[in-house]
Amino acid sequence: MKIITWYGILTLEENGVADCELFNKDVDELAEGLLHQNAAGARAPEAGFDIRAPAISFGFVENDREYDSLLRDVSIRAGKLRISRTNTPDMRIIQAVEALDDIDDAANALSERLSEWYGLHFPELGFSSEQLARFVKEHGARSNIPADDPIFEKASSSMGAELPPADEELVKQFASNICDLYDNRHSIEESIVRNMGEIAPNLSNIAGPLIGARLISMTGGLERLAQLPSSTVQVMGASRALFKHLRSRAPSPKHGLIFNHPLIKNSPWWQRGKIARALAAKISLACRTDVYSGELSPAIKTGLEKKVNSIKSSNPKPPAREKPSGKGRGKGNKNSGGRR
Amino acid sequence: MAVKELSDGIFEVQKSGKRFIGTKNAVPGSAVYGERLVEAEGDEYRIWDARRSKLAAMVLKKMNIPIKSDSNVLYLGAASGTTVSHVSDILTDGLVYAVEFSPRTMRELIQLCDTRLNIIPILADANHPASYAHIVEQVDVVFQDVAQPNQAQIAAVNCEQFLKGDGHLLLSIKARSIDTVANPGKVFKEEVKKLEKEFDTKFQILKKQDLAPFHDDHLGLIAQKLLR
Repeated sequence: MKIITWYGILTLEENGVADCELFNKDVDELAEGLLHQNAAGARAPEAGFDIRAPAISFGFVENDREYDSLLRDVSIRAGKLRISRTNTPDMRIIQAVEALDDIDDAANALSERLSEWYGLHFPELGFSSEQLARFVKEHGARSNIPADDPIFEKASSSMGAELPPADEELVKQFASNICDLYDNRHSIEESIVRNMGEIAPNLSNIAGPLIGARLISMTGGLERLAQLPSSTVQVMGASRALFKHLRSRAPSPKHGLIFNHPLIKNSPWWQRGKIARALAAKISLACRTDVYSGELSPAIKTGLEKKVNSIKSSNPKPPAREKPSGKGRGKGNKNSGGRR
Repeated sequence: MAVKELSDGIFEVQKSGKRFIGTKNAVPGSAVYGERLVEAEGDEYRIWDARRSKLAAMVLKKMNIPIKSDSNVLYLGAASGTTVSHVSDILTDGLVYAVEFSPRTMRELIQLCDTRLNIIPILADANHPASYAHIVEQVDVVFQDVAQPNQAQIAAVNCEQFLKGDGHLLLSIKARSIDTVANPGKVFKEEVKKLEKEFDTKFQILKKQDLAPFHDDHLGLIAQKLLR
């Protein structure tokens, strides 16, 4: 029987190790070997087999000390190789998606602050978020608004307090930072769309690049997403509702993250569950095509459209309401939220 | 300032009326994760926080740690290496094989390995000991802190493969990762029973101890593999 170790292939016979085919004593080669240990015909050492002794008796290393230090060097090298190989394009997409969410959180918080701050000076403006930030960045105090601007009327009769020049400078700078965040957000979004088209053309085609990217980010990689059952894809992002359903009698969630897909969002409520199921199935299919073939296959999209049309035509009307049974089955606690 | 050795390489250091446990720094002058460094009787010790390390909590809970200075240790669930660094301090004449599954945390572990000579990093899934059996030799101690629902099984298969005949298993069982809602006491009982009965490898449980207040709903357990 042949067994493999990090330093060579051992031939085992009844009375012990009969022979050892040593590998080259080169750290890079050995590290590469560690990653592909499934050499032909050789098996992993059996339980209880000590791999250190043969390394010394067959002269791969001179003593325990050398064994330790060489194994350390090789393992560290192998670990570094593995880590550098896990940095695939989908990992970059995941980071971009997370950055998008972080920017949203930050920009919202800052925009609210700006709205309060600038509201002291010009409460009648009525702008919020990006629009407000752009406005403040451009004009500063309301006295700078030109007379031909539609807002001029509001600005000149505002009940807001005066804005001292020093404060104006601060608010303008603050607003300009928020604008930068929004600009950054747009360019990240563009880059996600571009990258998704490259690494997952089918997924982008079916789910849309942004929803696709979110699905990847949630599962931790395109390949992992491709390995998930489509029923999981369907409810991903609705975990609260899902676990509530599993724990109690609450209804199962019909859609999670994919709710944001126009096919579901723009459909009447009684078709949504069915469409979500069809969409999730095609998303899984698309992912698998992306991972294992990588070529765009338009048949998935036409298949989905056909399926959705048949769902729509066979369910044109909302189903008749069931008579209330008195037991209060189904709907969970209305206040708990999180249902999608 | 007084230093007392509790067990091999694990020290109790008294400083300005307070008592700490720590290990003798193998790389004097440098801290690994922001822990405090204390000079005592001419040596530098790294203070070991029981709230961050289950092994340190086991020490404070007066469990007998079977790690000797010349042991070889298989450490499952090494994470970014906070506890591993202390184990590396203890093993002045031994190796620790640090198995970790996540490439992200492995990044930090590898940086630690670069500064210390007795850590062998292994990026692998502890569920499949065969996937690193070509690297790891027979060891004296298996320490496991993986917080997985099948913890007991992971411990058993690894001990079967790598633990010497009378070697020790140190296990930290996290009740919340086995069953989020059940009573922790009940979960512990079941896991211990599993360990005693269910697997090919037989253990004798030497000591078990709740790790509160350092870690909630964690059980520390020391067992010895029985010779067949």
